[in-house]
Amino acid sequence: MAKLSLSKLTKAYNKTEVLHGIDLDVADGEFVVFVGPSGCGKSTTLRMIAGLEDITSGAITIGDRVVNNLEPKDRDIAMVFQNYAIYPHMSVRKNIAFGLRSSKLSKPEKEQRIAEVAHILDMTHLLDRKPNQLSGGQRQRVAIGRAMVRDPAVFLFDEPLSNLDAQLRTQMRLEIKKLHQRVGNTIVFVTHDQVEAMTMADRIVIMKDGHIQQVGTPADVYHKPANAFVAQFIGAPSMNMVPGTLSATGLTLDNGQRINTNLAATTQRVVHVGIRPDDLTINPNALQILSGVVTVQEPLGSETLIYVDTEIGEVIAKADGRTPPDVGTRVTLSVAANNLHVFDGETGEAVQ
Amino acid sequence: MQIYANLTIRQKHIIWAWAFLALPVLFYGIIRFYPTGNAFLISFQDWNLLGKRTWTGWDNYIKLWNDPVFWKVFKNTFAYLLIGTPISLFLSFLIAYHLDKLRFMHGFLRMLYFLPFMTSAVAMAWVWRWFYQGVPIGLFNNMLASIGIPQIEFLNSTTNALPAVLAPAVWAGLGFQVIIFMAGLRAIPTSYYEAAKIDGVGWFTILTQITIPLLRPTIVFIVVFSSIGFLRIFDHVFNMTTNNPGGPLNATKPLVLMIYDTAFNGFDMGYASAQTVVLFLILLVVSLIQLRLLRSD
Repeated sequence: MAKLSLSKLTKAYNKTEVLHGIDLDVADGEFVVFVGPSGCGKSTTLRMIAGLEDITSGAITIGDRVVNNLEPKDRDIAMVFQNYAIYPHMSVRKNIAFGLRSSKLSKPEKEQRIAEVAHILDMTHLLDRKPNQLSGGQRQRVAIGRAMVRDPAVFLFDEPLSNLDAQLRTQMRLEIKKLHQRVGNTIVFVTHDQVEAMTMADRIVIMKDGHIQQVGTPADVYHKPANAFVAQFIGAPSMNMVPGTLSATGLTLDNGQRINTNLAATTQRVVHVGIRPDDLTINPNALQILSGVVTVQEPLGSETLIYVDTEIGEVIAKADGRTPPDVGTRVTLSVAANNLHVFDGETGEAVQ
Repeated sequence: MQIYANLTIRQKHIIWAWAFLALPVLFYGIIRFYPTGNAFLISFQDWNLLGKRTWTGWDNYIKLWNDPVFWKVFKNTFAYLLIGTPISLFLSFLIAYHLDKLRFMHGFLRMLYFLPFMTSAVAMAWVWRWFYQGVPIGLFNNMLASIGIPQIEFLNSTTNALPAVLAPAVWAGLGFQVIIFMAGLRAIPTSYYEAAKIDGVGWFTILTQITIPLLRPTIVFIVVFSSIGFLRIFDHVFNMTTNNPGGPLNATKPLVLMIYDTAFNGFDMGYASAQTVVLFLILLVVSLIQLRLLRSD
């Protein structure tokens, strides 16, 4: 086990730079999730850590060694691929054993290791089957088993759950998290699914266009997003953004509603005010900031999401699950002032 | 129309499928299957194309069994198969494997390898025939002579003739097999290789444990396809040895050439048909054996 650190990591294909200086320290035993929209550079970063892509500049350190010029096999890592990369012509046992092919263990030791891993992953009874006799979740476990058997310092997961159906994904998410708690290796996990990131990570790294947007615990990135992109990327449904102005006197929404906050600006500036749908409710006792007509209802059982057309744009709010306002009715929405997120209108950075 | 409207979707599909298939089925029936059936029939008869057909029973087959030329030809045919198939399989895989890794001039090289496949066998056979001539005409013998190696009789020797004829035949088929192999190689997901790279296995293990097993369907196809090609070899042999069809002492004569000879020089249609039936059975058995051996897991 070991810590992993990336410093000023860049990647360019010919003249096009796709990663612009990634700095990150992953502690020993930490579960870090890279999340971002496609093309943000998260998979490229992972593949650079694995040694499958060359490093244009910067350094990757695993343990105490700079691994820039080491072959993948010498980096003390193991990787689980999106399509599992388990060999269809080999039995599960052989697939797992493939991870040990280059190791110097004796044959009985190797068999012992395979048996241990199979036991941990609860697939001892599957060892002699071929991959085409396994379900999606079981194949996923074989892929994890092949990585585990190498007992690497760092586990790398490249969107391993995206080929599974929704229910199985939830289940495997939990299994991987439990596995991490049990074996305690350092894990770097790449996904485009923010729910996966939130539920599994010790720390989340949010990327966009080859830059890290924010690094923090799930609670950090949810409650204190560093910028408008993070705010809207994390959380479902996405955070509402309504236009406003911040001046010496305080915050004013574009519909004229003044809000008392401890934020103020010396010169007047245009801002985006972010409100999570969860925080935007029909509550006559709280600060009423927006009103509009309900256009769509999305019942979720315990609550109902309502889309409200206001004079400063459409927003999503949360209403009661049993008695939501009907489509076409006019509603007034409230929010607690400390649940507002204010972002600069030009840069999108959070205004503190 | 009412009847059609009441059919299920599946039944309508079947009707349309047969509507489109009817013509080719008819064509195949008349052009392929009828003559095939007829060949089986004629193989039990005596017929010189003009006279009456007379029933002779197994006579043609008995004659074939006792014909030393047939056994020589039988041996030649299998020599083409057993030498040609492995060599072309090995060469085409070797070329495809390396061409697949190459970016520089990839398209141009692929075109070069494919070109012989598009070239007419007759033209190619005559060019190679020229290669094989003695000094001062033949390319190969000139090259040998310039470094002081004595002349080699390529086409006029009973031992060299068959390999000399086989070489252009292998060369001609290579382009096609290379393309098929490359398609097979491309179909293997790169993550298999990346996973192997992380596991740290060597190139030989990757080749034997991953690439070749995953290419199995491609290999089956190429083996069956090229075997059928070598068992039916004719145009290269015929054109390279026109003045002496079948080479010295029938050294290069394959079964198809013998059939041609018997039918259109000897006008012994019954005997030729019997040979055709034997060729058919050989093709059938060889293909079935290969499918059986190579397909099973």
